[in-house]
Amino acid sequence: MEKGTPITIDLKRDGVQDLSGHVHQLPCCVKSTAPASVSHYFKPKSTGIEVEGLPLEEAYFRGRKLDGATIGLPDGYCGFVLGKKSLGRKKSSDISEDNSNSWEMKATFQKVTYWNHDCLPSQNDDFLRAFHWLTVAKALHNPVTPEDLASTSFAL
Amino acid sequence: MGSDFVLPKWASTPCIMGIDEAGRGPVLGPMVYGCLYCARSYQKTLATLSFADSKTLKEEKREELFDNLKGNESIGWDVDVLDPKELSSKMLKRNKINLNEISHQSAMGLIDRVLKIGVLLTEVYIDTVGDPEKYEVMLSKNFPSIKFVVAKKADSLYPVVSGASIVAKVTRDRALREWVLDETAENMHRNFGSGYPGDPQTKSWLEQHKHHVFGFPSLVRFSWGTCTTYSKDMVEVSWESDKMDEDGGSGGNSGKRQLKLRNVGFTTSKKRSEEIESSGKGRCKFFQARKLEHLTNF
Repeated sequence: MEKGTPITIDLKRDGVQDLSGHVHQLPCCVKSTAPASVSHYFKPKSTGIEVEGLPLEEAYFRGRKLDGATIGLPDGYCGFVLGKKSLGRKKSSDISEDNSNSWEMKATFQKVTYWNHDCLPSQNDDFLRAFHWLTVAKALHNPVTPEDLASTSFAL
Repeated sequence: MGSDFVLPKWASTPCIMGIDEAGRGPVLGPMVYGCLYCARSYQKTLATLSFADSKTLKEEKREELFDNLKGNESIGWDVDVLDPKELSSKMLKRNKINLNEISHQSAMGLIDRVLKIGVLLTEVYIDTVGDPEKYEVMLSKNFPSIKFVVAKKADSLYPVVSGASIVAKVTRDRALREWVLDETAENMHRNFGSGYPGDPQTKSWLEQHKHHVFGFPSLVRFSWGTCTTYSKDMVEVSWESDKMDEDGGSGGNSGKRQLKLRNVGFTTSKKRSEEIESSGKGRCKFFQARKLEHLTNF
């Protein structure tokens, strides 16, 4: 895909599935994009234990034990599952259209469960710390008022 | 689990105990450690109870002997059932624990449990796992008041170990027979066979229950070399945690079934971390520390 190709995302308003509770962030890369019978094989269990304020869950994948926690996305934010926009016809000759870089919202989610391999979830996990950016971004992009400036004293 | 809660009188006299395992080799199902103990003064009678190494007995005979020993008030017993999920996940930890270590811990856990209920153990007989001398040193260090006899084929040499092997084997067989699969996919069945990698029934069960994404149901010990045969039918999975440890550094000589995990297809040759996860490389520290990358295209 070349740089500079315009990206369009079609955000639908209605009839979109809410996948809250079914979105998992795994500590591995599964080299497959095909659908899989996740709910029949991947069975997270709540442990009833809390670590650093996070309700600990456990699950197994490919013989490994995963420790995880389900977290809500910050207020005002929503998770989107995007897919290539379907353009009606589905012929093999249309594959080139896949490069169109048009996306559409397939589902939304308000919660995500993230998993560590053999390591309890912690507020220090990169995944949780990434959300700090939202606070920083807000501060950075807030318009500065004259009052803000006046209240800031510079020691010269 | 195990015998009655009320401690029998003989338990305060010097006691002997045998420990044995069942289901160490199979590629699926739990591994069971069993122990059997009695007063030293009961040793001669025990020898007349026709316990033999559980493997040489027919299943019905083992079941019968197990029922007899459960009803025998001069004998105590206990088991430690290690779930296959526990075995796989320990052997696939960041710091891998090999099967010998797991076995040692299980055996010592049983000794600990029996001592804690107040049994006066003075001698423990146990089939060796790994080097017998090293094993004995470890056991004696952990339980200085007990005399250990660590031997190869202890299950056929000492009736108290033969008894323990019956406890373990019957428990393992029952656990497998009554196993409820966690997975709920359609067309699954429970004709596992013995679980030994060479058993045709086990082989065909594995063949029928392999899954390209999930590997196998969690009844299977993913860390077994046998699973390699099926890895070509499964999509590759690369783990973040495998890139961090070059070698894993586990204790090494743990039997043929424990292949280097990289060779089993469940972990892969090292991939550059950027392929798997965001790194924040080249950005300011704030982003690097949070592995936030600037995405201009997707």
